[in-house]
Amino acid sequence: MKALPILFVLALSWQSCVTVKEYEKVNLNDPDMKLTAHVCERFETNFQVYREGSSGANGGKAGGGCGCN
Amino acid sequence: MEVKQAEDAAVINMKILLKIICFILCVPTCFSQTKDTVVSYKKRVLETVEVDVLSSYYKQTGSNAAVTGGIGNEELTDITPTIVVSLPLNADDVLTVDFGISAYTSASSSNLDPFDASGASAGFDNDDNDDDGQNGQSNSNITGSPWVASSGASRQDVWGNLSVSYAHNSDDRNKIWSAHGSVSTEYDYFSVGFGGSYSRLFNQKNTEIGISGQVYLDKWLPRYPTELDSYLEVNGDLNQGFFQGVTILDQNGQASSGWSPIDGFALIQDKSRNTFSASLSFSQILSKNAQFSLFLDVVQQKGWLGNPMQRVYFADRANYFIGNANSIPNYTSPDNTDVFQLADDIERLPISRFKIPIGARFNYYLNETFVLRTYYRYYTDNWGIKSHTASLEVPIKVSGKFTLYPNYRFYTQTAANYFAPFEQNVSTQEYYTSDFDLSKFEAHQYGFGVGYTDIFTSFKIFKFGLKSINLRYNHYNRSTGLNANIISGAFKFMLD
Repeated sequence: MKALPILFVLALSWQSCVTVKEYEKVNLNDPDMKLTAHVCERFETNFQVYREGSSGANGGKAGGGCGCN
Repeated sequence: MEVKQAEDAAVINMKILLKIICFILCVPTCFSQTKDTVVSYKKRVLETVEVDVLSSYYKQTGSNAAVTGGIGNEELTDITPTIVVSLPLNADDVLTVDFGISAYTSASSSNLDPFDASGASAGFDNDDNDDDGQNGQSNSNITGSPWVASSGASRQDVWGNLSVSYAHNSDDRNKIWSAHGSVSTEYDYFSVGFGGSYSRLFNQKNTEIGISGQVYLDKWLPRYPTELDSYLEVNGDLNQGFFQGVTILDQNGQASSGWSPIDGFALIQDKSRNTFSASLSFSQILSKNAQFSLFLDVVQQKGWLGNPMQRVYFADRANYFIGNANSIPNYTSPDNTDVFQLADDIERLPISRFKIPIGARFNYYLNETFVLRTYYRYYTDNWGIKSHTASLEVPIKVSGKFTLYPNYRFYTQTAANYFAPFEQNVSTQEYYTSDFDLSKFEAHQYGFGVGYTDIFTSFKIFKFGLKSINLRYNHYNRSTGLNANIISGAFKFMLD
């Protein structure tokens, strides 16, 4: 956990290293390059929340809404 | 002559002056026209109404049911029809309505009252109430088993959820804020949630930082193992109510009146379960082909964090049963179909839990055929659970319309401090559970998906064109013996 702040500082400083122009983002705009789970995966995430002791940090909710986790 | 030259020079100067004045007057006009042009051609955040029709079918098997104290049939099936409608309110704002249900049948939950199958509960009615046997009829032949699904009302349920979110984008699309609210209900649980988020894009949209907060104000409508709340209802008199005419057996199969729950057993008083979470996210484009994101959640839960349906059996207390005495030696075997052990208590867990999950995604566009999608999460909480999750998916574009999605996910966790298997907790502990979801285990999930995309939405249903179909199958295998299969599908339609 001590590495967490360092990780975020490194991440924040990264932005100064590169700038990709809008017209250069053809590949990045591919639907499979989205930094989110697929719509279908919500059901898999749902049962994983039930069947596993941990949850969160996947862009979804981290608790509440059901009697699980 | 000199006068004539002076007049010509004056005229020329006037013309130059007029041109300068015209230029000065025209410049702001030109800029304003440019601005107007930008506004009139501002791209909408969402071009048209989109409708996602989703569903899944989930089936699991296992032999560590928490409702029956860590052993027993865990068979469960679940079907989840869902619809998500996204409405563009104007060029900048989107309203999303998400409605879904989850209809399940569960062998484990059915054994909230395991005696239904034999007519114990008593065939008089088909519910999980413990009023059976109160009409003077004998329950002497009742049986139950953690390995046999019962027929009471708790064998099935429907979870319903409605959530609404509203998102606003700034003109330059560099600032996004959203708010959402949700309500969900099932027969023993009710939840209200709300929250908001704010995202900011920098560096020509190469960098994004987001912050969000969510609150869930949940409430148990608790159901208890039938023998436990029956015991309280009759004030411990094993000749009344549910227990009237029922023979309770000791470990040797002899009739006994020695059973009771743990000293001081009481139903839960604080039925709330509230969750407060804050999330930070950061995403960064690394190159023309690579980008990553980080997520950090901080979650605090308060209230009744155990499940009042889940039994616990203590190693330091005598065992008592209802059913066939001859099956007691084989109690933990799936061959046991007709004897059930009476609970010592329900699971007890701390009223507070603090969780910190941190996750990262890294996606790389290899070429026109292959994309790499990776995910990692580290999780820790103050119950002693630490976990690692890693997944890899490699979308393969086999044609302009079809993509394949082979994927693999690995998960491992340590046990919660309060977990022990069936009959291994002791009654002197303050907190205890035999829920194997909180045990130490590893899990592997692997599967396959197929995606179909038609950007021209050629196939129509009324005024909606089909834009994409995604189908997925995944198999989940846990080192505790639990196995699950899930099939899910998503159909995206767009209003023409």
